[in-house]
Amino acid sequence: MRPGSICAVAACKLTRQALRLFHRGGTALPGKAARLFDPDILKRVSEGMEIIVVTGTNGKTTTCSMLENALRAGGRESLSNKSGANLLSGVTAELTCNATWTGKPKTHYAVIECDEGALKQVAPLISPKVIIVTNLFRDQLDRYGEVMHTLDEIRKGILASPGSILCLNADDSLTGSLAGDVPNPVVWYGLDTPTGEEKEPVLSDARYCIRCGTEYGYHYHTYAHLGGFFCPKCGYSRPEPDFAVTQIEEMNTAGTRCRVRMSAAPYEMEITVGLPAVYNLYNAMAALCACTAFGLPAEECAASLKTVHSSFGRMENFILGKTSLQMILVKNPAGCSQALEYLSSVKEPCRAVFALNDRTADGHDISWIWDADYEKICSSGILQEILVLGDRAEDMQLRLKYAGADTSRITIVREAREALKWIEASPVPVFAFPNYTSMLELREAVRERTGEKEFWQ
Amino acid sequence: MELRICHLYPEVLNLYGDRGNILCMTRRLEVRGISCSVESVGIGDNPDLTQYDLFFIGGGQDFEQEVLLDDLRGGKGDSIRSAVRDGRTFLCICGGYQMMGHYYQTHDGVRCEFLGAADLYTVGGDRRMIGNYAYALGEESGGSTVVGFENHSGRTYLGEGVKPLGKVLKGFGNNGEDGTEGVRFNNLFGTYSHGPVLPKNPQFADHILKTALTQRYGSAVLEPLDDTMEMLSHYRVLEHYLRLSRS
Repeated sequence: MRPGSICAVAACKLTRQALRLFHRGGTALPGKAARLFDPDILKRVSEGMEIIVVTGTNGKTTTCSMLENALRAGGRESLSNKSGANLLSGVTAELTCNATWTGKPKTHYAVIECDEGALKQVAPLISPKVIIVTNLFRDQLDRYGEVMHTLDEIRKGILASPGSILCLNADDSLTGSLAGDVPNPVVWYGLDTPTGEEKEPVLSDARYCIRCGTEYGYHYHTYAHLGGFFCPKCGYSRPEPDFAVTQIEEMNTAGTRCRVRMSAAPYEMEITVGLPAVYNLYNAMAALCACTAFGLPAEECAASLKTVHSSFGRMENFILGKTSLQMILVKNPAGCSQALEYLSSVKEPCRAVFALNDRTADGHDISWIWDADYEKICSSGILQEILVLGDRAEDMQLRLKYAGADTSRITIVREAREALKWIEASPVPVFAFPNYTSMLELREAVRERTGEKEFWQ
Repeated sequence: MELRICHLYPEVLNLYGDRGNILCMTRRLEVRGISCSVESVGIGDNPDLTQYDLFFIGGGQDFEQEVLLDDLRGGKGDSIRSAVRDGRTFLCICGGYQMMGHYYQTHDGVRCEFLGAADLYTVGGDRRMIGNYAYALGEESGGSTVVGFENHSGRTYLGEGVKPLGKVLKGFGNNGEDGTEGVRFNNLFGTYSHGPVLPKNPQFADHILKTALTQRYGSAVLEPLDDTMEMLSHYRVLEHYLRLSRS
């Protein structure tokens, strides 16, 4: 161990402890401190570990949570950056703080969520055994440029880690195209069956063939641009997945029961995913695919999906007094429309909170709310009352007005604490749809009230 | 009265919530009892464009531009140029706005020929001009203040034959140099403003609708609507983010 590395580990641990004395999460700064002493510290503290990395627009955190749960089910403890600090500094902080003082990893396994743009820095340092790319949708465009640019960034990251097994979503023509550009072995997952209304999406981030520019045909749609795509001209099409949902048996607000086939097994399995909504089925297939690529028994991972818990603001449930609150993070049109689709499937009367901030972590451009399908829930008639919250609450309110909401039922507040009073006073269940920093604030307000753990614990 | 709206290339030019402009226009017509139809005209479609009163074109991604330019060369470009010349109303946002000009030249010198429907051109820059911004519309466009969100690296320069849509109050506008924003030529309104631009700027929205109705019927009166929520979000950007006072 070089002296620089020892200083780096010490700097990381001490910075985090200092920050936590002041009740700060300390998820990125300790990593920055460590890298000052040794820019390659991440490589040293991850030496010999077996690591799964998850990147892509939506589903990173939940997929990580499913993977951790699967590892735990087999008695394997793993590290993760579950607080969501998924840039180089955050990953460095997590792995360095969990190393011994001499920089040796304390756990053998790690599940790392990685930002799409940071993959090219993180992957070569930690040499993951498996990399999952969940999907690609338009996201915070004012920070990352456009969807194709993000795809380029991911490609660079994979090229920097040619030994990793890639788990790709067969139903996504964008991320699926990575397979042809990199030397890595690829395993595919997907949904063999249509979901939802089975209609052409109004907005698609991938309408034209990424190879030849011809409009794709679809055998079926799942959501947004995902589904059984094919290019009628050049023949680029959805590959046959190695792991796929063949039939959805039952889907409700508690989860989904479905049938799954695996190319390596002659029989189908029936599995239950303990989180609702179609996008969590994709996350579950990604986890199953990656665990198997990682060398774990498929049955063990499949069984663990039943007990997976929601993670940090992603379909997280709280009880406030007599009111139940479910918090669903929404950050981009595809994810938001899917979350609203889920809300519209709720059968009982309920109330909703829509929270919108426009800080750096959210993206300063909030115009994407006009691309999400709020019309669907405004016309469903189940929403008794609506609360809009956050720095851009006025924009949220206006969006709902044009989506057809009854404006006399909309209340507008700026602060999360005020929102909490409104939530607690609700006689019916409340569903909250915050974007990233408004989720942190709302969750912090809930934590203050319920005395729940701070998020890094 | 009725208004026929043509949404040009919605399948490719649909970034940044620009379809909110269509929602806004249809809604503001419908609540006033003016019927309104929206037809999507995309790549490969070739309807008679003279049947429409108002054209909307949004912003898009670089990747899809080639597909689009091929389609324009297939005859639609001529129809669009004639419609602009005949005084049909156009609202063009960002990429759609640039496309109305003569060309786009990348910063390494590659020139991409555009429609040339309005006297302007765009040069690619290495700095992205991003953020909330505001501009004052020219008198011929109603004179109100517009707030929006700009996000472009292209710098647009106007020729002799056209006017800017407005004067930048805060932000970059066309090129970050000359204080102009957008273009006004005949009844073509071009702007860099996403947001989408119309919902938060109801006076501008009504000005565009009135222009299209007047063009078709000779005159038009739009009764005022309750724009309390619209103006709340307008002033939020103007005062809180841009630190400008209400005019």
